[in-house]
Amino acid sequence: MDCFPRLAKTFCYLFLPTLSTIKKGFIDIPNSIEKGSPLHRGHSLRIKEVISDFQDFYTLSGRGLLALTRQPFYFRDTIEQMDYTGTGSLIIILLVSLFIGMALSLQLAAELSGLGFKMYIGRIVGVSIIREIGPVMAALVFAGRVGSGMASELGSMVLGHQVDTLRVFGVDPVKKLVAPRILSSLIMLPALTFIGDAVSMLGGYYIAVYVSHQSGAVYWSSIRSVINLENVLSGFIKPFIFGYLVACISCYMGLSTKGGAIGLRRSTTRAVVVSFIMIIIADFILTRVLLYVLGFSV
Amino acid sequence: MIVFDKVAFSYGSLKVLRETSFSIKANERVAILGGSGDGKTTLLKLTLGLLRPDSGRIIVEGEDITGKTEDDLRETRMKFSMVFQEGALFDSLNVKENVAFCLREYTKLSEEEIDRKVRELLRRMGLEEAMEMMTEELSGGMHRRVAIARSLAAFEPKMFLYDEPTSGLDPINADMICKLILDLSKDGKGFIIVTHKVWDAMKVANRFLFLKKGGIIFDGSKEQLMRTPIPEIQTFLSEIRSSPLL
Repeated sequence: MDCFPRLAKTFCYLFLPTLSTIKKGFIDIPNSIEKGSPLHRGHSLRIKEVISDFQDFYTLSGRGLLALTRQPFYFRDTIEQMDYTGTGSLIIILLVSLFIGMALSLQLAAELSGLGFKMYIGRIVGVSIIREIGPVMAALVFAGRVGSGMASELGSMVLGHQVDTLRVFGVDPVKKLVAPRILSSLIMLPALTFIGDAVSMLGGYYIAVYVSHQSGAVYWSSIRSVINLENVLSGFIKPFIFGYLVACISCYMGLSTKGGAIGLRRSTTRAVVVSFIMIIIADFILTRVLLYVLGFSV
Repeated sequence: MIVFDKVAFSYGSLKVLRETSFSIKANERVAILGGSGDGKTTLLKLTLGLLRPDSGRIIVEGEDITGKTEDDLRETRMKFSMVFQEGALFDSLNVKENVAFCLREYTKLSEEEIDRKVRELLRRMGLEEAMEMMTEELSGGMHRRVAIARSLAAFEPKMFLYDEPTSGLDPINADMICKLILDLSKDGKGFIIVTHKVWDAMKVANRFLFLKKGGIIFDGSKEQLMRTPIPEIQTFLSEIRSSPLL
């Protein structure tokens, strides 16, 4: 339980605008600072800002999801976003997946051939790709490419007063800008993960058969044995959560951009860094929950 | 039309407005002058409810908008036609799509009708040939004119709000924008123009507010502005005192 205050503090640090603010210490007001002094007020203001940042983020995430159920629906914007997030990310996902699958198969071949368990390469590649590596790797690539793009696009719209213009015209920026990005991420990241998993297993097959000289039939039957409901569910719930996280974090960072080009750089970087960290943390939590729910014993 | 009652606003610890009060009628032609960072644009954003004041009340057509939600503010915002600094055109859309934005959003007009209306507005702005151009291909003056056309396509505004409409423009384009602003106010519709270009403000407005250090230090006519002994304003006016046109 002692770790919680520290964990909360670490989370808060992620949202800090500058290193100098971290040095000042923003969350605990040191006793040495006189109450009511300008420095004290500065610290109080920082605490309020951090709390308000979190509040804004959760509000945006909730409203973004809610906007998917209420009119107006922006189909054209959603299709455009799906093209950008999905089709645009396909080549990079294919490349990364192929090489990850090959590298994993190679490592396993090197380790298992000495023990005489080469026939398990397919099984281990299958389980690790479907349940863990596939969803996480696709989400990280997605966050790097799509998350940064979303944050910088929305950030430049904020700086160019385009978001204010939407509000003046009575258009809700959450419905027009955030909801299509969330929906496209919810659809395209699972699709990309599915394709990535298949390509990774093909890469594993190539190494197992042509480098490790294992039978292709054994590799595929070994893979087939792990493609069951539990594993597939475990591997396909994650991309939905990761997609939602990446879209919400990136949209929030983009829409909260201030301070010109430097502010834009800061929000784009923060969108990617926070997305990466949240994907890894969420992956651990989801793995724990899913293993428990799906009846795996650990 | 617009009443600011002891409105205070700050960005974090930076106080921009301190208990500022004034009122503007719907048919007035008002210029808000002041240096960079003195809160001119903030005043316009507060008027539209894009920002919320720390204290005080903002009343638009008798309604206090200070506590209104984003949905409730929509009606208030539709009473104004706002042209942001540098136009704020949607850069993923071309000129036609920018002007047609609100028509597509709020009306059920056919594509032919939208096309006809957009053409009409762009012709009025002298931009019919630019219809298919992307925003990055437009000059600064064209940007502002497309933005004005877009705001006119939206609704029937009661008042126009212009944020630095002539900044960064050459004198010919700036003059063209000033003429357009005057032309649009011919039927008695007022406007608020926020600018630091005194010369342009003189061409279009008949009431002047001067913002300094979070408050209004001057409120009066052109003649009163020219005669005021306030040193900050005198320094500001020095740009036009030497003008041979005066």
